[in-house]
This record gives sequence, C-alpha cells and structure tokens, in this order.
Amino acid sequence: MAGRQGQLTFDQIAPREAPITLGVSDVSRLIETLLDDQRLQEIWVRGEITNYTHHSSGHRYFSLSEERFGKVSTIQCVIWRSDAARFGIDLANGMDVQIYGSVGLYPPQGRYQFYGKEVRRTGEGEKHLLVERWRRELDAEGLFAAARKRPLPRFPRTVGVVTSSTGAVLQDILNVISRRFPLTLIVSPTIVQGETAHLEITEAIRRVDTRADVIIVARGGGSFEDLFPFNHPDVVRAVAGSATPVVSAVGHEVDVTLCDLAADLRAPTPSAAAELVVPDRVELISELLTCRQHLIDQLFRRVQKASAEVNALSDRLHPARLGRLVNWRREDLASLSERLNRALSTGMVRRRSEVREQRAMVEAGNPLRLLSRGYCMVERENHPVTSAHQINKGDQVLLRLADGTGVAKIKEVTYDRNI
Amino acid sequence: MTETYEELLKELKSIVQKIEDDETSLDESIALYERGALLVKRCEEMLETAEMKISQLGRD
Repeated sequence: MAGRQGQLTFDQIAPREAPITLGVSDVSRLIETLLDDQRLQEIWVRGEITNYTHHSSGHRYFSLSEERFGKVSTIQCVIWRSDAARFGIDLANGMDVQIYGSVGLYPPQGRYQFYGKEVRRTGEGEKHLLVERWRRELDAEGLFAAARKRPLPRFPRTVGVVTSSTGAVLQDILNVISRRFPLTLIVSPTIVQGETAHLEITEAIRRVDTRADVIIVARGGGSFEDLFPFNHPDVVRAVAGSATPVVSAVGHEVDVTLCDLAADLRAPTPSAAAELVVPDRVELISELLTCRQHLIDQLFRRVQKASAEVNALSDRLHPARLGRLVNWRREDLASLSERLNRALSTGMVRRRSEVREQRAMVEAGNPLRLLSRGYCMVERENHPVTSAHQINKGDQVLLRLADGTGVAKIKEVTYDRNI
Repeated sequence: MTETYEELLKELKSIVQKIEDDETSLDESIALYERGALLVKRCEEMLETAEMKISQLGRD
C-alpha cells in the first residue's frame, strides 16, 4: 500500500475508478513526511514551560506555551533523559526558556511533538555572546596560550583547593587525595555560583596562591548559568596570573569554561583533578620495591663477576702450575746437557781414531823398521822388486838389510798362482 | 612527600645506573648499594608516614 501511495497520480483517482482508501499508517507516514520540513528541524523555540513532568524514567515531558494577541499556542515537548542530563538546568513550570530541537510525529497517539535537545533560559543567549566576546579578548591577551602552561610538580607538599566548602566536590577531592597520597591540603572556600561568585572565586585563588605547590579550582556540574562565574575575566586573570600551577575542573567534561582554558591543566571532573595532582602512593611503593630488587640483583651480579675474576687469577697463580713450569725448564736443560756431552764425546773418539790412523800410517811408511825385524828389501837395477814377475832366473839382485847390503843371484822363480 | 622525595628518587635512579655499569669498581658498587638501600628505606618511610592535614583559609 505504501508503494501505491507513492505512485498516486491524478489519472488514478479519475471519477471512473473507485476512490482509494488509505490505511491510518499511510496517512501517519504522509504527515511524518510533511513534518520533515527544514523550517521545523533543528530550530530554537521560545516559550513558557507548563504541565511539567519529570518522569521516573528520567525523560522530561511538558508543554511550551506562548500567549500572543490574547491567543494561547501550545506545543507538546519531550526531552530524553540523556539530553536532559547534559544541560543540567532544573526545569519548572512558568520558566521562560529557549529550546533547541525538532518537530516530529508520535504516531501511536497521532500527536506532533517538539523533541528538545538543549535548553537555555531566556536571557542566556546574551550571556553566551558575552562569554564569546570575553573568550576572544582574553585569547588576544594570550591568557590561553599553550606556551603559558606550566608542568605540575610531581610531588607537591601542599595542595590548595578552591571550591565550595560544602558539597560533594570537596569531599570527592579529599577522598581521592587521602586514598592516593595523603598530604597537606589548604581549602580556600568560595561560593561557586551567583552574581558575585566571580569576586569570591578570584579572591579565594589569590588567598591560596603561593601557600600551596598546586591549586585545584573545582565546581560540580551545573547549567551554563551556574558555571557562568567561571567564565568571568576576573577569575580567568586570577587563574592565569597565579604564581602556582592551577588545575581546573569546572562542571562536566562537556562544559568548557574560560577558567578551564586559562588553567595549566584541565581535568574532566574534580576527582580527576585530584588524581592528576598527587601521585599514587601504592604505585610509588611498588616502583621502590622494583628499584630495590634491581639494586640487589645488580650488586650480586657485580660480586659474581669480581669473584670470577679472582678465581681466574688464582688459577693462574697456583703452585703446581709454577712447579710444572720449573720441571719443563729442568727437562729442557737436561736434554740440552745431554746433547752437549754427546757432541763432546763423539768429537773425542773421532779425534783419537784419527791420531791412531796417522800413527799407523807414519809407522807403516818407515821400511827400516821392518828391516830390523828380519825382513829385507830386494832391488834390481836400483828399483825395488815388488813382484815375482820382475825377476828372472839368473838375475843379480841387491838385498838391503837393516845394517847393510848383500848381492844375490836368482836360482829359480816360482809364482804363487798361475796367471 | 616533599621535594626531598623527588631528590632521593633521582639519586636512587642514578645509583642503579652506576651499579649497572661494568666500569664501576666493586668497592664503589658496594658503597653505592649501601647508599641505594638506605635511600629506598627512606623513601618508603616517607610514603608510609604521609598523613592528611587539612586547613581551611578564612574568608576575610
């Protein structure tokens, strides 16, 4: 049926044909389409709240009314819980507000409604513009510059807290700090909303400045109106001009005040600010334990290394090792001495035999010595006869004896071997 | 928790570094260890004895 509705043309509803009947949901869808008009979407509507109901589900239901020229106009309004939680204004009957949202259909009840996303009290618009102007001016003065931001001390001795002396914010901060790292806290109380709040906040910051190592400026969540003093230039200048680093935690994380921008550090909530300001003692103790174990390990390692060095040196100094060295040298010496002796005695033997030979030769070369023992030499024609072939039968030979000569005649020659 | 804690921690870290260095003599290492162990003890004491003191400035 939805498809047919889209194809509806003049021809199709010509008199000849039976009239087409639409379902309720078809009509409802058509109306929804009609309401989906730019002029009705994402707009600001101003009116007075009536019939306000804060439903147990957290959703807000009310009417927005306006009387003009004696005629009353009313629009039903809904703000879902998630949106209502964000802007933090307590709505009430009779309140003059501006609501941002879109008109839409609620088909089950055949009712159009205004679905609100954001609420401002009338008159706030001017304040928004004012804050915007302050932001530009203070920015031009350089109060929000990143270069101005100072680091927080890692181990503060004293923490200053600028906030309301009553209420959950101070308690949250005290709880976090006492849990993480108890130290000296100086509370500098101030009112945190209202016409003169900015004067008190400024004074509270100045009072605690230089008395603490770090300052927390905190306020719980609230409406734009509630947080307004924290946008005031007096407060911004006090934060920027503080000699002590400032951590700002004003409103919920989505609300950014000028005080937040001027602080050295912005925390999403007061508890988070406390966490940023003091270290966690448990972590510190565990770091120390690790450090101590490291010291022990390193010293042990160093001693082991030294002991290994001593052992190595002691091995090298061992007497047995020294004894071995002496023995080796002794052996070397002995073998050398032996070689020396051998060399010497061999020389002597050689020389002795040489002398003997020489003497034998000398003695052999003296024929007269033989002659004295009864031998004689035979000469023939003044030549010594050394062979039987040199003589013949009848030869005359000279016999030379030790002390004289004799002449002899050969009677016969005999050879020892046949030749 | 004072500035002294920060200083003690800084000294402790430099001592650990020196002991880790093999160039450091054994004698020096032992002396450094003794100093380091003392620093750890003092840091622990500082952390353990920390207590909350709250004062409130008067509005004048």
